[in-house]
Amino acid sequence: MAAAERLNRKQKRERRRKIPWTIFAALVYSSFYIPVLVMIMFSFNDAKRNYSWMGFTTKWYPKLFSFGNHDLWESLAYSLIIAVVVTVISVIIGVLGGIGLKKFEFRGKKFINMMLFVPIVVPEIVLAVSMLIIFMIAGFKLGLGTIVIGHCTFCIPYAVIIIKGRITGDNETLQEASMDLGANRLQTFLKVTIPSIMPGIMSAAFLSFTLSIDDVMISNMLAGASQSTLPVLILSVNRTGITPDINALTTVMVIVMIFGMIVMNILQRIHNKREARMLAESDERIRAARLAAEEY
Amino acid sequence: MTASKGRAKGTNRLPLLAQAGPVSLWMILFVTIPMLFIIFISFMTRGTFGGVEYTPSLESYQTMMEVTYFHIIVKSLGVAAETTIACLIVGYPFAYYIARKPPATASRLITLLMIPFWTNSLMRLNAWMLIFQTNGPVNNFMLNTHMIDKPITFIFTDGLVLLGLITNYLPFAVLPMYSSIEKLEKPILEASADLGATPGVTLLKVTLPLTFPGIFSAIILTFIPALGTYVITDMLGGGKVLYIGNIIKNQFGTIRNWPLGAALSVLLLVITALMIFIYSRFAKVEDMEVV
Amino acid sequence: MKKKLMAMILGLVVIFALTACGGGDSGTSGDSGSKELNIFMWSDYISDETIADFEKETGIKVNLSYMNDNADSVNKLTAGAGDEYDLIMTCDAYMESLINGGYLEELDLSQIPNSENINKAYWTEQNQKFCVPYLMNYIYVVYDKERCPIEITCYNDLIKPEMKGQLGSIDGARNLFPIALIALGYDPNSKEESEIAEAYEWLKKYNANVVAYGSTETNIVNGTISAMLTYDGNTAEAMAAMGDNNTLTVAPFKKDPVQLGFDLYVIPKGAKHMDAAYAFLNYITDAEVMAKNLVENPYSCPNDAAVAAASEEYRNDPAFDFDYKENIFFQEDVGDAIKIYDKYYQKLKVDTGE
Repeated sequence: MAAAERLNRKQKRERRRKIPWTIFAALVYSSFYIPVLVMIMFSFNDAKRNYSWMGFTTKWYPKLFSFGNHDLWESLAYSLIIAVVVTVISVIIGVLGGIGLKKFEFRGKKFINMMLFVPIVVPEIVLAVSMLIIFMIAGFKLGLGTIVIGHCTFCIPYAVIIIKGRITGDNETLQEASMDLGANRLQTFLKVTIPSIMPGIMSAAFLSFTLSIDDVMISNMLAGASQSTLPVLILSVNRTGITPDINALTTVMVIVMIFGMIVMNILQRIHNKREARMLAESDERIRAARLAAEEY
Repeated sequence: MTASKGRAKGTNRLPLLAQAGPVSLWMILFVTIPMLFIIFISFMTRGTFGGVEYTPSLESYQTMMEVTYFHIIVKSLGVAAETTIACLIVGYPFAYYIARKPPATASRLITLLMIPFWTNSLMRLNAWMLIFQTNGPVNNFMLNTHMIDKPITFIFTDGLVLLGLITNYLPFAVLPMYSSIEKLEKPILEASADLGATPGVTLLKVTLPLTFPGIFSAIILTFIPALGTYVITDMLGGGKVLYIGNIIKNQFGTIRNWPLGAALSVLLLVITALMIFIYSRFAKVEDMEVV
Repeated sequence: MKKKLMAMILGLVVIFALTACGGGDSGTSGDSGSKELNIFMWSDYISDETIADFEKETGIKVNLSYMNDNADSVNKLTAGAGDEYDLIMTCDAYMESLINGGYLEELDLSQIPNSENINKAYWTEQNQKFCVPYLMNYIYVVYDKERCPIEITCYNDLIKPEMKGQLGSIDGARNLFPIALIALGYDPNSKEESEIAEAYEWLKKYNANVVAYGSTETNIVNGTISAMLTYDGNTAEAMAAMGDNNTLTVAPFKKDPVQLGFDLYVIPKGAKHMDAAYAFLNYITDAEVMAKNLVENPYSCPNDAAVAAASEEYRNDPAFDFDYKENIFFQEDVGDAIKIYDKYYQKLKVDTGE
């Protein structure tokens, strides 16, 4: 009885200790979400431009979905296409590069490592202008392609750095173990290396997508005649004042993304369960093999 | 390409080529060559309508030596440092808080952190303006509660610029620190506690040193972009509060002095190289590579 | 096996690279004339409807992209990216250099019969060969009768200490320096370094009173500023946003002239869809089309026939209600002196912090 009470008290103390932490986290989150909420609120603003709050209306949503403002929708489509392509390229090159730069020694490796810092380090405008000049000399046509190259150039370093940070001595031990157990390089890569750095891959993908979809400057400089991304459009509209239909669109985007996250989460959970079952099975097999080996 | 010519440990160069090749090629094509070109341009003469005249000159570097530019550079470094320190002070405990949660909760919390960043940063900056503008909710609240009797001009001040910078770069500080804290082995912390260390001592002597690569990565990911930004300072500073990023941007925009912009960029490169050099005096470079 | 893996990875990379670049390709023009038109101009400066009607009428797809600064279009034109576009918007101040630099296609006005509608007073003979004026802007001072501490009747009023923290302003060397030069009694397009240097000293005082550059109409409507140096069209927007509670008024200048600037369309050298560009120029100079466009873009317009056909509301807009419309000056191309302007403008921007 006394023991149970002590445990109870301990739990209570634990919980009390957690309160300041929760408040702190809530404050941090609110500094991120208050602007978003205000942004959403102003999608219901009954004014031509968001100079200040003029009254409540829902008229911007039907107006948005009548697709009258096709500039807005087009630039959104370009933004999304670019972000997805950039994420895929950056993660592939990032995973390969992260592993390659960690594992191998080769002439010029130091140099490449240094180069990886450059896009993170230099102001975006410099990267943008320098690439613009190069593209013009090389005769590239400005458009989605050049924006993708521009975004990848600053997303790949982040991807490489994140993934390199994920690879530790453990990974090599695991890889060696896998090879010792008879797996070839490809199997090892796909079944051991990739899963072991999966969290890194996920955050690299996250970051690439976020950086790409939010980028203003490089998109602005490297956009061609007909394709500009949503941030570039917003930047130029901001000169005269943001119109509430842009708020409405951004609101819809947030909702869609949250919905997408939930779906992803569910899929991930199903996948994890299957993974865990498979892992348990393979553990079983390894143990059996080890036993067999010992016996032998 | 030259990088891939190097010899791998073994005889088989294929994995090396496949893995390090793409990234090396990309970096050389789209970073090295353009950057060399920018350095080259910084030693040229400005064209009348922007662009460059290919006449060698040190004019840009001479302009840069003027005292006003020095002030701007110092001010920019100061603001970037303030942003970074604020991001570390808020970000580290926050990353720690997330990392100590069960993995599923942690990943959900990280997602929650990233969602606002899928709304355009310009829209969020615009929202801060709406909140703090002269007839905005903050001023109205303070007027109604008689805390003030005249609206305060919050917008277009250094303070709001700093708020914008911090809220914009905090996630980039949290993510790397979260990764390194999350990698910490719980047994180590428990061992520290078992050996009689108070939580404070454990934090100072064990957690902080072990997560230093993450912290340094956070510094890089906040300090340097904050030093080079111009969109945030432009929007929240009203074109009056100028930092080095704005000056560089203006050289490629309204002022059209590309060589000077290039020279200022070279300066930023030097500052960054210096930072990394300083770091290398205190810690192993390999640790930094793990960033 | 390893080779397969590499081939697979390389294949993936190539596929993505191809899709990425392929997306950038725009449709090729057909035999019977161009099917697309690429325009680079200010955003929010032409009505969506005007564009949609043009597309419907001609079957030409219009691709608009936007500049953030007059320098953007000059940069594009001079850097040779001009052939990305068929029409580029620029302003009168740059015309001479752009013509001399050979960056523009010479126009065949017989293909733009509607250009007759444009008032020749606003379209010099030399410019007629290379550009078509679209809209024009008076750059004047507007203040809030209730909140502004003083009545403003000349540029020198703007640098009075009472105006500290009250002023909003548009930005740009060639918008700011002329008002300082006029206030000091000089030619607004001066090429004299000593005069520009004096103007710089004047602008330092101006700068001390300015709260923010840009977004003037937002800032005056939300109460951050009480006076502004701005464009007439932006004033019209601000006045419309304040509606019945409008307390804004155009400063009654007595002596100082105000700047009248033009936004023009030019065809960059080597444009790929010249026929479409001509079709558009003729369309936009049509009186009815332009009159309709003025509803959403209430700026001053050099197209006399369009102004005559425009709505009552446009013609009675309080933003155009000022007496000194004839007392104007133009931004002229100052040639190499632009470097002097840029130098002092840069100094002005850098000194701000002190």
